[in-house]
Amino acid sequence: MTAEIAPPRLSDAPVTRTLGNGLVLHAVEARHAPVVSVWVWYQVGGRNEVPGTTGMSHFLEHMLFKGTPAHPKGDLDRLLARYGAVWNAFTSEDVTCYFETVPRERYPTALELEADRMHHALISPEETEAERTVIVSEREGYENDPSFLLGEELQAVAFSRHPYGQGVIGSKEEILLMPRDALYEHYRRFYAPSNAYVVLVGDDDARSMLDHAEAAFARLEAGAPASPLRAPEPAQHGERRVVVRRAGGAVPLVQVAFKSVSASDPLTPALQGVAVALGGSSGGSREAASGRSSRLYRALVGAGLATEVEASAGLNKDPYLFQVEATLRPGGDHRAVEARILEELDRLAGEEMSEEEFARVRKQLLAANAFPSDTVTGRAFRLGQLLSTGAAPSIGDWYARLSDVTSAEVRRAAAATFEELSRTVGWFVPVPSEPAA
Amino acid sequence: MSAVAAAPFAVERGRAGRLRVAVAPIAGLRSVVVLLALEAGQWSEPAGRAGVARLVAQSLVRGTTSRSAERWASALDDLGAVARVDVGAHIAVVSGQALAGDLSAYLRLVADAVLRPAFDPAQIEMVRAEALAALDEESRNTRGVADRVWRELAYPPLHPFRSRPLGDVDVVRSTSGEEIAAFHRREILGRGGVLVLAGGLEARSMVAAAEAAFADWPSVAEPEPCVVPEAALSATRRRAEIVPDKTQSDVILGWLGLPRTDPRFVAARVTNMVFAADTFASRAGKVVRDELGLAYYLFSALGATKGQAPWTVRMGVNPRNVERAIETTLAELRVVLAGSFPDADLELAQDKLVGELQVALESPAGIAQMILEAELFGLGPDHFTRYPAQLRAITKEQVIETARTFLPADRYALAIAGPPL
Repeated sequence: MTAEIAPPRLSDAPVTRTLGNGLVLHAVEARHAPVVSVWVWYQVGGRNEVPGTTGMSHFLEHMLFKGTPAHPKGDLDRLLARYGAVWNAFTSEDVTCYFETVPRERYPTALELEADRMHHALISPEETEAERTVIVSEREGYENDPSFLLGEELQAVAFSRHPYGQGVIGSKEEILLMPRDALYEHYRRFYAPSNAYVVLVGDDDARSMLDHAEAAFARLEAGAPASPLRAPEPAQHGERRVVVRRAGGAVPLVQVAFKSVSASDPLTPALQGVAVALGGSSGGSREAASGRSSRLYRALVGAGLATEVEASAGLNKDPYLFQVEATLRPGGDHRAVEARILEELDRLAGEEMSEEEFARVRKQLLAANAFPSDTVTGRAFRLGQLLSTGAAPSIGDWYARLSDVTSAEVRRAAAATFEELSRTVGWFVPVPSEPAA
Repeated sequence: MSAVAAAPFAVERGRAGRLRVAVAPIAGLRSVVVLLALEAGQWSEPAGRAGVARLVAQSLVRGTTSRSAERWASALDDLGAVARVDVGAHIAVVSGQALAGDLSAYLRLVADAVLRPAFDPAQIEMVRAEALAALDEESRNTRGVADRVWRELAYPPLHPFRSRPLGDVDVVRSTSGEEIAAFHRREILGRGGVLVLAGGLEARSMVAAAEAAFADWPSVAEPEPCVVPEAALSATRRRAEIVPDKTQSDVILGWLGLPRTDPRFVAARVTNMVFAADTFASRAGKVVRDELGLAYYLFSALGATKGQAPWTVRMGVNPRNVERAIETTLAELRVVLAGSFPDADLELAQDKLVGELQVALESPAGIAQMILEAELFGLGPDHFTRYPAQLRAITKEQVIETARTFLPADRYALAIAGPPL
């Protein structure tokens, strides 16, 4: 006997205000802890880049920590450290985002810091050179991971025209060549109130949070709206395959991806259900004990073919990928694992789940959306993510869409997605190492 | 059941079987975070049997005497709950999150796993095969190799922390079902542990759910406490291992830490923050990453355990920058040892550590972790009111003294794993 999940409360719906300069502010009260989480989302990411300057948005994200005239390099780090803040930034295919969760009494300062760097980042030539090696180091860390190596190749093969094929961090060669002036131009073009929005969640009245944000940002000039993307992905007309053979990794991998839909597509909530049915909501391998009732866990890990398996339907602005990744046992058989994955995908697309299985999937889907919202930072991220991708206007609305998904819709979403014509398959094949000199 | 109101959150305590229970109600949340710490980590492993604790812990969630592995997994997923089992230096932790209305059912499932595991031979073989695959994977993973090498350099043979929790291949291969069952009975049923619950239920309901779930804890004699001889690093030890076809080197520079119960531990935590704990707020990260651009990440960590857990600095560095990054880190350590750092560094470290306590309140997991540390090490019911002042009271002299005692710049273990240097 399980309890029904309490739907999100009214306070989960954001109070929204649009400033004269075009900046949109969203605030949600969360009163369980004396903190406020401040998030600034810019509508720029890997999808806004062109060959030759891949990784520019991510490089720029690093440079936003390198000082302004009012707050020289180190000021922001020290201030946020002094507050005990949880803070960071990230760049995705669609957005660049900066956030800090701070004690309630400090959030006006966090807003001032964000408003300052929205318009006044120095991006000096000296700091650009110093940070270049840090970004190369970040990329080199990823390159140690076979999953990254294969995923990057697969993404490049899956997209023939859309910049999603370029990934986010950029090639090492282009990071090394990235001109400082181009970074600054990118900053001027995309970092403006009219191309951003702010999410605040925390222990203050929503209107008070909006007032503080308005005081910080209203004085900034709107900037020119960013031009829309002009490289839609053409239809795919047959399976694509990629094999990466490297010594760097003891374990073989299989990745299977299908062209999918954008986050705002009506099919998206049901695809979230497809991902849970296949891989669980929390993974089901290594130290994780949940997610082991999922179809792919039982077919692959339970059968001794793999040690881990994941399925994900990403939330993206433009049509992206539905992805499955299996980590094989050492010496595992790629062909057998790939065949087993495809068999399970076909089964989900062909037959509706039993009531019992669908109830389990639905509960995982809804709970997985409730858990992160029980932290202030998690709630702010979730709201911002839904807004940035167009998935939903609020956490409550997203919950309602997930809640309304039916077993038949899950099957139809699987059938509409798992088509051979739009499939890309990747294998990571470990090869024997060169003997050490 | 005794109630103690301690700022910044209320904790109520109780008992459930062999578990000490501590709960923190947080109004307005829909879920409850669960941390069940069992006194059955590496510390409890028999000498030379590294890996047994993890095999036992993982086998707990592979079926019980009344539910097959599949049924137990389905029952957990029926709740939409999450759970995982991790083995650390001295505890094994079952951690997870369930919707508040499902807490009783969740705890019943966890209790079934902890008290009545089936230890079905086929499931043990699956756990063993996955552990061997993980060991194989880690043997080609720069972080895994660096961790293995560092422990081999830092701890003497047969010390429980000389191996990683994953253990040694030979032990994982040879551990029998009888050894697993005996370890479970002796270390888990015999010693018990601590259960912490934090989230959106009244305290009384959480304690009652815990009592009901674990009420039939079997009567098993408590074993003698494990005794681990003190270890010491008598000289600098260094080893580099090549991991083929990698781009970046992982570096671990470290020393032996001190027990959480040691009166100098709070000073050690502040010292750690001054030196290298945070890539941006501590001295080493600021220079290595921010000024010289040598690494994307650099941080140090000091484990809170019963014994001398690793106190290590970790960094990811291009092979050609490894020596410079290590030298720069040691140079910053010498600044700390000499006391030639500005007072502002100490103030910043203290502000950050105190500020983090307030920010951690945003998350039920953050609150649960704070309670768990206090309960495991008997820090007292007023710990949360005293702790910020304890952090603030640490002086520059104490930081210097702590660094000189525990972080000598001429005696450390250094492991490097990655491409040839």
